[in-house]
This record gives sequence, structure tokens and C-alpha cells, in this order.
Amino acid sequence: MLIPHPLLGLRDSQEFTYLGDASLMNRPDPSAPDAEAAFCDYVFLRNNPAGVHRELWFHEQGDRSWLIVTRNTVTHEILGAELATDVKLGGAQ
Amino acid sequence: MTDLTPITALGAAAPRVETFGALQIEENAGLALASLALRKGGNTPAPFGLTLPDVASAVSNGEIGAFWTGRGQWMVEAAGKSETDFAALLKAEAPECIVTEQTDGFVAFEVVSTQGGAPIEALMSKLLNIDPKTFGAGQAVRTGLEHMTVFLIRRSDEKLAVIGMRTLAGSLWHALAVAARRLED
Repeated sequence: MLIPHPLLGLRDSQEFTYLGDASLMNRPDPSAPDAEAAFCDYVFLRNNPAGVHRELWFHEQGDRSWLIVTRNTVTHEILGAELATDVKLGGAQ
Repeated sequence: MTDLTPITALGAAAPRVETFGALQIEENAGLALASLALRKGGNTPAPFGLTLPDVASAVSNGEIGAFWTGRGQWMVEAAGKSETDFAALLKAEAPECIVTEQTDGFVAFEVVSTQGGAPIEALMSKLLNIDPKTFGAGQAVRTGLEHMTVFLIRRSDEKLAVIGMRTLAGSLWHALAVAARRLED
């Protein structure tokens, strides 16, 4: 499986390690009144879609960048990859 | 005073050199390394007059060279300066940046071909998940080699530098030597 790194081009997936759903970048506000419930969902709840999924991959044996890889969980087709630092969902970088 | 004997990463008094057909592999014990990273929003310096290279490239000017290791990060190398405090020299050249000594953490092996680029590309095809055809002179990447992380620098068509973790110097030499020996057949 090849991952199209935005800077380095096609790289073997063995160079990467997988973290999980890209929604992990949307960290809830700890000072909000419903912070406890929001963090409970953030930590424990994940969608498990059959189809297109956005997920975080770390280029561990490469330039050590975090990527958001869009992948189809049914066909394993990789639809795209972008640098997480460019996306900056929420407050995380 | 205690009489200490310096040894190379492979444990010998002198750097190891071996020839396998068209390929020669040499331990480069003299290479000094220091990493350079920009602070957030910092300007890119030009240490020793070098223009720091773009993504996946390397530049060199005389004994000093630099290669890209990540966004806003480079490794700066100096031939024959491993016994000196090269990081301090680099810090003086780029005081705004984060500079870390790296010489002690790495081992460098220089693979040189006597028959053009083809033997180097054959060796890369055996060992690496990088397309040797697109990895021409002046390119540099970090990738995996037999589960070890290495930096590769294509210094020229006939020269490939492999820089790996110093504690794994023996395993890295073994991987390179076995692959090179098998290419002789």
C-alpha cells in the first residue's frame, strides 16, 4: 500500500504508523460547562464507518510529519493525504 | 592519566573499508553532524553560506553539506570534523535556530561505485522501498532499511551515503555488505 505524502510523493505504508480517527484533532474545550461529557465522547466514542474515513498517520520512518489520510475502509483505496499542520482542525496543530 | 583509545562506530581503530565488485563501502568516521531546526515563524538562516535545501534534497559546498529532514528541519554535516564541537560552530552561524549535536548518535557509510550509477541503483532496489530512478544526485530522504531508520543522500550518481543509528552500526554494515556481495554474482 502506498500513501501519497503531500511533500515526498508516494511512500510505502510500512514507513507510517497509524493513530486513529482524524476527529481526534478536534479536542473539546476543557473550560466549557459540558466538558466532562464532551471529553468522555472524545476519548471513548468513535464512528466505525464502512466507507470513506479520515484518519491520522505518522510518517515515523520519514520526515516525522502527521498526515490526514482519507481511506476507504471497504476497498482500502487511499483517496488522498494532507499535512495535519496545514489542516489545523480545532486548536490542535 | 588513563590512556584511552578512540574507536570507530564499528569498534575498530580505523574505519572499515570493503570492496564488493563495483561497489566500495566505507565507514565515514570523520563526518560531523548537527541538526538545525527553525523556531516557529523563524527565518531560514544560511549557515556557512549554504542555501538550506528544499524538500528531500541535499546541498554541499566543500566540506560542509546540508540535507532536508523535515519541514523547517535540516541536518548539517561537515567532513573530517567529527572530533570537533561542530554543533557549537553551527550555533554561532545560526544563533536564532535550535541546534543539536548529532555526531555521536549516527554512523555514516559511503557507498561508491566504480561503474557509474547502475550498481548503486541495483543495491537500492535490493534494500529500499525508494524508487532508485527518481532518487538522483542531490536527493536525500529518510526511510527504513531492514527495519532500521536511515538517512540516504545521493551525493552523486556514483555515491550514496547511508547514515544510520550508531548503536546499529554492525547490523547496518551487515545489511549493506550482504546485499553488495550478492550483487557480485
